Amino acid sequence: MRKELEAKLKAQLQDDVVCVEKSDERTIFVDVKRESVREASKIVTKSGARYLNSIGYDNISRDGTLGMIHAFAYDNNNQFVCVRTSAPESDPVMDSITPDLPSAGWSEREVYDLLGIKFAGHPKPKKLVLADDWPDGIYPLRKEVPHDLVPQGAEDVAYQLDEAPPGTKIVPVGPFHPSLHEPEHFAVYVDGETIKGCDYRGFMTHRGIEKLCQTQVSYNEVPFIAERICGICGSVHATAYSQCVESAAGLIIPRRAEYIRTLMLEIERIHSNLLWLGVAGHLIGFDTVFMQAWRVREQIMWLCERLTGNRKTYGMILVGGVRRDITPDIADDIRNVVKKVEEELMVIHRAIEKDSSIHKRTKGVGTITRDQAIEWNLIGPVARARGVDIDARRDHPYAAYDDMKFEVPVLDSCDVWATLVIRVIETFEAIKIIRQCLDKMPAGEIFVELKDNIPPLRHAISVVEAPRGESVHYVITGEENRPERWRVRAPTFQNLQAVPAMLLDEQFADFPIIMGSIDPCFSCTDRVAVIDLQSGKSSSVTKAELERLSRKTQERA
Amino acid sequence: MNQLPENTWGILLVFTNIVLFMGLAPFFDGIVRRVTARVQSRQGPPLTQSYFDVLKLLGKQNIDSVGILPFRMAPLVALASILVVIAILPVAGKATALTGYADTLSLIYLLTLGGVAVLVGAFASKNIYALIGASREMTTMIMVEPILFMILMLGVLKTGSLDLTTVIYGTPTVNYGWAGVVMVIVALFGLQAFVARQPFDIAEAEQEILGGPFIEYSGPNYALFKLYLMLKQMFYAYLPIAMFVPLLKSGSFIVDLAMQMVLTAVVFLLIGLLSATHPRFRIDQALKYFAGLFVVALAAIAGALFG
Repeated sequence: MRKELEAKLKAQLQDDVVCVEKSDERTIFVDVKRESVREASKIVTKSGARYLNSIGYDNISRDGTLGMIHAFAYDNNNQFVCVRTSAPESDPVMDSITPDLPSAGWSEREVYDLLGIKFAGHPKPKKLVLADDWPDGIYPLRKEVPHDLVPQGAEDVAYQLDEAPPGTKIVPVGPFHPSLHEPEHFAVYVDGETIKGCDYRGFMTHRGIEKLCQTQVSYNEVPFIAERICGICGSVHATAYSQCVESAAGLIIPRRAEYIRTLMLEIERIHSNLLWLGVAGHLIGFDTVFMQAWRVREQIMWLCERLTGNRKTYGMILVGGVRRDITPDIADDIRNVVKKVEEELMVIHRAIEKDSSIHKRTKGVGTITRDQAIEWNLIGPVARARGVDIDARRDHPYAAYDDMKFEVPVLDSCDVWATLVIRVIETFEAIKIIRQCLDKMPAGEIFVELKDNIPPLRHAISVVEAPRGESVHYVITGEENRPERWRVRAPTFQNLQAVPAMLLDEQFADFPIIMGSIDPCFSCTDRVAVIDLQSGKSSSVTKAELERLSRKTQERA
Repeated sequence: MNQLPENTWGILLVFTNIVLFMGLAPFFDGIVRRVTARVQSRQGPPLTQSYFDVLKLLGKQNIDSVGILPFRMAPLVALASILVVIAILPVAGKATALTGYADTLSLIYLLTLGGVAVLVGAFASKNIYALIGASREMTTMIMVEPILFMILMLGVLKTGSLDLTTVIYGTPTVNYGWAGVVMVIVALFGLQAFVARQPFDIAEAEQEILGGPFIEYSGPNYALFKLYLMLKQMFYAYLPIAMFVPLLKSGSFIVDLAMQMVLTAVVFLLIGLLSATHPRFRIDQALKYFAGLFVVALAAIAGALFG
């Protein structure tokens, strides 16, 4: 693979290719001069690679340059290609790859905002991440900018929305709107009830988790912060980060730990899929689906509380393994709970399957073709509902997924209904995987300590299939026992970019469900700490007691 | 001398009607909420919750967010129009003092007036969500009001009179024939649309347009709208009972009335069940549905005319 690619690149770009190397079995790094970065990306894409993500980093203190990495994946033979290049600080300009790969648009805008690399030929060079009143010339991810810098705010600065198509009215959705569960803003251009376009201004809750972890904490603490990126798929981020560090350090973790990671990820998938199913029901005005799905899900939350001490944000994943073992008692507990969930979900599944009114609201809604889905680089259930057969668990196996047998459902009706069906089927598959995990789990240690320092400037990439699509983490190791650069790309970052295409010519009434169908996680996209505030439950209070107490408080009020 | 006590009785009935509807409408709303909750495995609010909701809203500050008269008047007009509808309604077969001054057509006008008041309030709000809600409400009204009209029309055709008491109670059920049966079915299928519950709560659609026409309303103004909606809902649930279920004729007004109210409660149970088991339709889907209903109702009218 590496040789073929090297030959192709050398043939077309000649001297612009600086180096092609392989860091481990599955990652190829291609260093090119900045003039050829767009060409190199084209060649890599043409050879069958799928664009993942772009990472910018500050290398000014070493050689006076700003680095840029475009990451790609070959899904058929489990390989990653990272095209690396750099531009001098004095002239930080390079060609944009967005004209060829529309889904790189946000990544490049983010790199411009945070590091100041300019991309020539970018179709929409607007602010993405930074606040509208952030002063020009301060690039927060550069090393010289302190992590707690609070620049002077400015009055009367506002984001300029895209021009509305003629004859349309603007319906503002957000920052606070019942169909968004986090603060983000959409300007939806409607003609009557038909959507003719949409502009997005998000990143309202960007707190700079990456900067924090690159400057303040050490390798071993990051998983807990990574887990707090998302209130729903925390383990995904912790696992992806830990795998990056382990890969950079060459650390092999015990097999049992990998099994437990798989187990936690799949438990998380059940809870996330049920959560989404409920939200989807709510968004089409069907609150009974909402309530019933969440009732079933609640058992998973209680199970996790017994397992880890927390309903969410389990704190199970560490660099080098996991924190808690699965005892035979707990294994039985898990088996019982998933059996019950399986039975109850089956009832909901049967009810939904034949409900013609749900079909009415979801079939043929949010349609984009398979080609568009590939062009926009959709991932996860959203892609699988449009006939794109990708799943990081199968294509780039991590943890113990190589030992698991499971189906990857793929449908081709290209609409919200297909997404819904896929997520329900995946919940059943998750239950299958959990059973296999418990049955096959080998004995042994669950943690191995990271003893030696990790050599600096090693690059590592890892993907983890979150319930809503794959998360990509990229780590460049640093000198002070912490990452030099850690880049998180959550699934929503990719999928959200295609939402305007999905919304086009749909009815405004379908906006919530189309938006909801990608299961947008704005906190992942913004990389902010979202913490479940549902604790405060002391062990001395029984459930009935708590219920009685809460009812009593209400009566008094 | 004979007329005075009769008139007093009629005037008393006007107040009885209003007290009855005002007293029971929030309770029936409570039934819908409780039924919905039970279907969703929730405990649900107490049956009296809707009374408290209205009372609490009445006690809040009245925020006049746009500061123009139509905005302030709309809730008053809406509530007043539905109260007049109730005042002229011959509940349990007894005409009130006002029934004689009105007929079937004025009933429909008054109902439409309430809807128009909601629209005026929405347009006065100058809020894009209210505007979308208003345009949806308007489309729904244009499609649904004729269906209601045709239901009453059947009574008019069968009795040859426009008088409300005659139209509503004049035709013994057997005489409705198959057209009557079809109309009962139309009334049942149109029920959710008349009361603007799922799948036809399109104009309010909380998840898309955050309550639509009512988005700018709060406090007492909103309480009036709430009350208007609950009364309207009770009227629409009560009407088919009055028209298609024969009076008990027990000789006692109270017993007849109680029977009708129990049946109305059953209709509300049905409303609760239907709204808990359906997602919201889109307006284009709803229009197709109404169009179908319209054609069937028209066929029933034709049947009554020529059949």
